[in-house]
Amino acid sequence: MMERTVTIVPEAGLHARPASKFVETANQFEAELQIATEDEEPVNARSMLGVSSLGVEHGEEVRLIADGDDAEAALDALEKVLTTPESEYDE
Amino acid sequence: MSERTLSGTGVTPLSGVGTVVWYDQDVELDEPPAPEDVDTAAEQARFENAVATAREELQTERERTAEKVGESEAEIFDAHLQFLNDPQITDAVEESIDEGLPAEHATREGFQQGIEQLAAAGGRMAERTDDLRDIRDRLVRILADAERIDLSALPEGTVLLAEMLTPSDTAQLDPETVAGFATAEGGRTSHAAIFARSIGIPAVVGVGDDLLGVEADETVVVDGEAGDVIVDPSAETRERASERRDVEIRSDRVETADGKEIEVAANVGTLAELEGAVAQGADAIGLFRTEFLFLDREAPPDEDEQVDTYVEALDAFPEGRVVVRTLDVGGDKPIPYIEADEEDNPFLGMRGIRRSLGPDAELFETQIRALLRAGAVGDGDLAVMFPLVATVGEVEQALDVVEDVAGDLESEGVDYAMPELGVMIETPAAVFVGDALAERLDFFSIGTNDLAQYVMAASRQNEHVADLHDPSDPAVLRAIDRAVEAAHDGDIWIGMCGEMAGDPDLTELLIGLGLDELSMSAVTIPDVKANVVDVSTADARTLAETALRAATKDEVRAALSEET
Repeated sequence: MMERTVTIVPEAGLHARPASKFVETANQFEAELQIATEDEEPVNARSMLGVSSLGVEHGEEVRLIADGDDAEAALDALEKVLTTPESEYDE
Repeated sequence: MSERTLSGTGVTPLSGVGTVVWYDQDVELDEPPAPEDVDTAAEQARFENAVATAREELQTERERTAEKVGESEAEIFDAHLQFLNDPQITDAVEESIDEGLPAEHATREGFQQGIEQLAAAGGRMAERTDDLRDIRDRLVRILADAERIDLSALPEGTVLLAEMLTPSDTAQLDPETVAGFATAEGGRTSHAAIFARSIGIPAVVGVGDDLLGVEADETVVVDGEAGDVIVDPSAETRERASERRDVEIRSDRVETADGKEIEVAANVGTLAELEGAVAQGADAIGLFRTEFLFLDREAPPDEDEQVDTYVEALDAFPEGRVVVRTLDVGGDKPIPYIEADEEDNPFLGMRGIRRSLGPDAELFETQIRALLRAGAVGDGDLAVMFPLVATVGEVEQALDVVEDVAGDLESEGVDYAMPELGVMIETPAAVFVGDALAERLDFFSIGTNDLAQYVMAASRQNEHVADLHDPSDPAVLRAIDRAVEAAHDGDIWIGMCGEMAGDPDLTELLIGLGLDELSMSAVTIPDVKANVVDVSTADARTLAETALRAATKDEVRAALSEET
C-alpha cells in the first residue's frame, strides 16, 4: 500500500475536465486506487461520482492511496493530472 | 372550441403546424416480485448486458452529435459514458440485485443514491444529476425493453413535444418531416434551441408545465417567432403558420439587379451556430456575440480559450469576414465573477463599452489580446466592434486599449494582426456624432433593437409600449439614414445586425437607405438573398426617400405595401 499527498493545481479544482481526466487515468491501471480529503472517507478513484462529490477545489490537498503491482506508476500518473493546469492538457 | 395559446421562448423565426407526438422517456415499472423469486445471477447478467447496450447507443449518438451539431455538444456523452462505468454506481446496483431486486428496479435504486449524493454536493455538481437521470432512464428503458420513438422516422407533419430534448434527440430530427417542436424546459441557449436554429426547425422552448396538458394527436402551431404554442388553432392561424418557405439556399454573394453587392451575413451567439450560418448560405458573420463564452461559468475564460474560439469562427468563413462584438453585459445579465450593482434602469446604466472601460477593464484587455492573436491565425478576416458607444471619448479610449495591447504583443514577440475596428450604432448619441466616429473607425453596424428602444424611449421588454418599439417608425428610419450618411461621408462601410435586417419585407427599403451589409438569424438569409437580387437600387432609393418623408408609421407601411 502506498500513499501520496498532492495539492490540486487546475483552476477548476477536481471538477469537470480535470475530474474526468483523473478518472480516465485511474482506469488505465490495475492497482486499487483511492482518493481522500482531510474530512472525507476515501473514495474509489475510478468513480466519477465519488471523485466529483468530494468537491475538491484548486489549492486543496488530497491523499492518493494505491495498492497493487503498478501502484507507483499509477500514483505518478494521477499526481501528474492533479498538478497540470487545465490549459496544458493535450487535446 | 377556440384556440389556446401557451407561451414560451421562441428560438427560430419560423412557424409550423402539425400533429402532436409526445416524446416520453419515462417507463412504468410493475411492482417487483418477492426477493426469493428473483434469479440473482440472471438479473446480474441482464444488468451487464444493458450496460453494454447503453454504451453502444451512447457511442453512436456521440458520433452523430459530433457530426451534426458539434464536438463541444458531443462531449456531454463522454460524461454519460463515464458515469455508466462508475464503480460506485454499478456496485450499488449489483448490491440491490443481490438483495433480491430485478435489474430495472435495482438500477433505479442504485442511481437514486448517486443522484442524492451529487445533489447534496451542491453547486456545479448538482447540475450533473441530470446526466445521471439520463443514464438511469436509458438503462431502465433497455431493461424493460420499452419501445423508444424513432425520432429519425417521425411521420410527416409531426410536432414533437417533450419535457426536454437532449442533443442526441435533436440531432435525429429531420427538418423535412418535423413541422416543429416544443419543450417544457430549456432556454434560448439550450442544446435543442441551438440545433433548431442551425437546421431551421420551428421551435419553442421553456413553455413550462402547461405544455404537459397538450394531448397526443392534437393539432398545434409552433410559432418560433412569437414563442407561442397554439393548441386547436383556428383555420386562419393554421394557414398563416403553414406557409412553408420554398426558397433556394445560395452560398454565393448576391448583388442587386443593377449590380450593387450586398453582403448578407449571419448573427451567431455560439460556435454551434456557425455551421447553420454556413448551411444557410451566409457570406460572413456580421455579429458574433461573445457573451456565451462568459456566461454559465465560475471564472472567466482565459486568453487561450478565447483565441481558440475566435479562430474556430474565423476558420468557418475563410473567404469572409467575422465581426466580433466585445463583451456586452449589464446588470440584467448577472455573471458570477463580474460585480454588477443592481440598477433601477439597467438599460441606461453600466453596460456594454461602459463596463469594458470601467469595472471590466481587465476582461476587456484579455479579450482584445485574444482577438488580436486570433486575427493572425484564423482564415477569415477579423473585425471587432464595441457595443453601446455614446461618445467619441469612449471610442478613443477603446482604441487606446487596442493600441496598447498590440504594443505589448509586439514587444513579447507574439503574432497578432490588427482587425478592422468599428462600433455598434445603438444610441441616438452615436448617430448624432457619427461623422466624428467615422473619422476614427473602419465600420459601423446598426443594432436596430437597441436603437429603436433608445430613439423611441420604449423598452423592448414592456408589452404596453411594444407598439412604440418599432424600427420602421419614421424617427428610427431617419436615425438610420443619418448614420448611413455619416459612414459613407467618412468612406467607411455600414451594416445592420438587428432583427430588422432579417425582415424580408424590408430588404428593399434597407438597400435604399444605403446599407452595405445585412446581418441576421441564419434561417432568414435565403429569403433576404432572394429579395436582394430583385431590387433595383434606384427604385429602392425612391422608396427610402418616401419612407423618410413619412410622418407616421402608417405612412411608412403604405409606402412599403405600394412597392410590393
